[in-house]
Amino acid sequence: MSGAFAGPAVLARELHRRFGAVVALDGLGFQIGRGELYGLIGPDGAGKTTAIRAVAGLIDLDAGEVRVAGLDPLRDGAVREKLGLMPQQYSLYRDLTVEENLRFFGRLSVLPRAVYRERADRLLAITRLAPFTGRRADQLSGGMYKKLALACALLHQPEVLLLDEPTNGVDPVSRRELWALLHEFVEGGMAVLISTPYMDEAERCHRVGLVHRGRLLLEGAPEALLAEFERAGHAAPTFEQLFVDRIEAAA
Amino acid sequence: MTRQGLRRSLVRIGAMAGKEAIHVQRDPRTLALALVMPLVMLVLFGYGVSTDVDHTRLAVADEDGSEASRALVRAFGASQEFEVVTRRPPAAAEGLFRAGDAVAALVVPRGYQRELLQGRRAEVQLLLDGADAMVANQLLAKADAIVRQESRRLAGLELAALRPPVQVRLWTQYNPAGRSAFYMVPGISAFLLAITAVMLTALTIAGEWERGSMEQLFASPVGRLEIVLGKLLPYLALGLLELQLVVAFGAVAFDVPMRGPIWLLFLTGLLFLVGMLGQGLLISVLAKNQLVATQAGTLSAMLPAIILSGMIFPVENMPLPLQLLSRVIPARYLVHALRGILLKGSGVAELWPDLLALTLFAVAVVTLATRRFKRRVA
Amino acid sequence: MSAPAIQAVELSRRFGAFTAVDRVSFEVEQGEIFGYLGANGAGKSTTIRMLIGLLAPSGGRATVAGHDVATAPDAVKASIGYMSQKFSLYLDLPVSENLRFFGAAYGLEGKALAARTAELLERVGLTGQGEAITGELPGGLRQRLALASALLHRPPLVFLDEPTAGVDPVARRTFWSLIRELAAGGTTVFVTTHYLDEAEYCRRIGLMVDGKLVALDTPAGLKRTWVPDQVLVARGQGLARAAEALRRLPGVKAVSPFGAALHVRVDPARLDAARVAAALAAAGAVAPAVEATPASLEDVFLAAVDRGAGGVAP
Repeated sequence: MSGAFAGPAVLARELHRRFGAVVALDGLGFQIGRGELYGLIGPDGAGKTTAIRAVAGLIDLDAGEVRVAGLDPLRDGAVREKLGLMPQQYSLYRDLTVEENLRFFGRLSVLPRAVYRERADRLLAITRLAPFTGRRADQLSGGMYKKLALACALLHQPEVLLLDEPTNGVDPVSRRELWALLHEFVEGGMAVLISTPYMDEAERCHRVGLVHRGRLLLEGAPEALLAEFERAGHAAPTFEQLFVDRIEAAA
Repeated sequence: MTRQGLRRSLVRIGAMAGKEAIHVQRDPRTLALALVMPLVMLVLFGYGVSTDVDHTRLAVADEDGSEASRALVRAFGASQEFEVVTRRPPAAAEGLFRAGDAVAALVVPRGYQRELLQGRRAEVQLLLDGADAMVANQLLAKADAIVRQESRRLAGLELAALRPPVQVRLWTQYNPAGRSAFYMVPGISAFLLAITAVMLTALTIAGEWERGSMEQLFASPVGRLEIVLGKLLPYLALGLLELQLVVAFGAVAFDVPMRGPIWLLFLTGLLFLVGMLGQGLLISVLAKNQLVATQAGTLSAMLPAIILSGMIFPVENMPLPLQLLSRVIPARYLVHALRGILLKGSGVAELWPDLLALTLFAVAVVTLATRRFKRRVA
Repeated sequence: MSAPAIQAVELSRRFGAFTAVDRVSFEVEQGEIFGYLGANGAGKSTTIRMLIGLLAPSGGRATVAGHDVATAPDAVKASIGYMSQKFSLYLDLPVSENLRFFGAAYGLEGKALAARTAELLERVGLTGQGEAITGELPGGLRQRLALASALLHRPPLVFLDEPTAGVDPVARRTFWSLIRELAAGGTTVFVTTHYLDEAEYCRRIGLMVDGKLVALDTPAGLKRTWVPDQVLVARGQGLARAAEALRRLPGVKAVSPFGAALHVRVDPARLDAARVAAALAAAGAVAPAVEATPASLEDVFLAAVDRGAGGVAP
């Protein structure tokens, strides 16, 4: 990873965006450093997907700015070489096989053949998808599909990885495998922004942001947040309890 | 753009085109639409829906009864198009039409030969059942030709040296039998290229949006132009292949000639396809939904290609507003140009207005589509 | 004792040479909340499709709400409510329209339909949302609507296929309180989920691995059977690195990340909390704190799948 840029891997400041009458982002902002795993949690409709799309440069903003490795994703196409995205929707090609999907994304990044082969083989091994390279994507189970989507997003070794609820509908075992893969890349210096409905996943992040109605309610390291929660007098502090408590208080 | 940048671009375009080729392969319905349908249509239109008028029942009322009038009637009877079925007085003609016993009636008035011998023009009357305008038109044209032929014969050798009027020569030389297949093949080519280019393009691009994969593409290093080129190039190739197929099949099955330069045929097809592909792109960018895209494609490309291009209904016979509308339909120019190239051997000198119109349309549509195709999901 | 709501006997399904469901047998009592777990591709969805009459079994038989799924699938469909994994209501219709449509499909009409619609909206907490467009509702509310539509014809038995997938913790709690109310009222609930904390709410759980039903018991029973060893939870810094070394320690059955901590399954005869903490510290962890913790269903799940994949038997 080049790491030429000295500032934060992701910077989002005072993001505002409404869709018709619905306010999706209402001043949301956060920073993610290199090698940091940042979790976005929040109720449905809080603006997590919109925030991720804003960082990816996929939606226009009414106000605010986003910088990925110092570049503006809305204006600078070079951002996309450094970015990996795994959207919530199933966005791989269903009638293409595992290998064909991988090769397609490899070619989009113009990876030399030898480099592609080495990385693809490694990713296929870690995700245990190697025996299924000839299987069409629509014949994969949910967990296998998500692993493939993650592999496709990691092929070009992005500096920043954006994941929108990547483990929805994925069984507990595959979920762990996905996280193991994530951790490996994070330790290599990749910055990750991940939104998740699983509280145990939130706990595995370096820092967590609780989003509600388009703004940040709470932010910090999970242990610190939990410790504070406990100090405030809650008996059995689990992260889930913290979530429920804060959201109900804000309602 | 640097050479390095260009090379990378080509790789990405290649990746998109390669993926598109796999999709087309894996969905046999698309291929069937593109390759089988042209042949089926050609067979249907060529053999089945014939607008040729052979053995049209002709009632004859020869009131002159002279050598000359009998010669004229013989000329009609000898032609493939007319079959003399009855000889009746002109008053009975309408009844014959209604009963279907005759579709046309030839009335040679008393004094026909006398007029001719005196060196004056002689008139004959042709009554047509105009219920079917297309048939009536063709009959009129043929009757006209027979009469002119007869005129020349009467005029004798003196006039043989003179050049005959351009009209008749054109008519007999390029489509001597007036076979409808000749007329139809250019039209069908236009229709099929329109389908392939507009519908399939609209489906594939709208499909990416619908499936959610467009979002993934927008977040990848691939540029918008690369996406467009990569997705559309396979359909351009498919369209040109179709054109080849239709022309070849037309030649083999219906003896449709190929008199003009081949390169011009493909250039015209190419210009038309680019415009149609642009139209497909524009539709899918606006619709982002396969169902809406197909309906818009049908309305804006297929129907005009059939109705307003001159494929079946001659443009000249349309009411003025539709004639004007036809001017913005690219299919019209393609049909006109193809007829020129295949049947008349026309070259750039004759067809440059059509080429210009196709180019203008292509540029306009592609520009519009590119502007609307934004790298945003919301 | 009333007849079981669901009875499956040696139920099997093959697709060509592949056996998706391999002689599965179990019974679900009326009014029970029965959980059905398994990895993706383990055969859960196929089993459910057979039980609700959408797929014919290749072998064995099953009786659902008193009807045989092979010979009377239509009767089965009419007697059950089904909430599919993929949201299957019309996104562009308002909430009440969706309910009216599906109610009419079940034969309700007129005043009865209107009354039932209003009743269900209240039941699931969507009163006042009748005119909201379904597609604009947040995920949690949408799922509640889907549940309501499965209950329109008052079925004695409902199948819920991952009803809370992607839903946030607050909404999930609300949803499960609805499920508990349902069961308390006598409706049998057959539910699948990947949220193992939710699975604790079930009275009994069936666990599928590679097409076979490998476990069927109450949550407590499952924990006793599958995780009889000690489960310790280790907290601290640098645990991820130390985990690898820990796995190689004799007496350690499994080490899995659980949130920010590690769950360590050990043979209590050979290791205790203190020893594990020492091992972690030696492997580079900073200030490791290790203590006993009750086993969770996720520990059970991991142990069962591990065993299915040739791992260590309990």
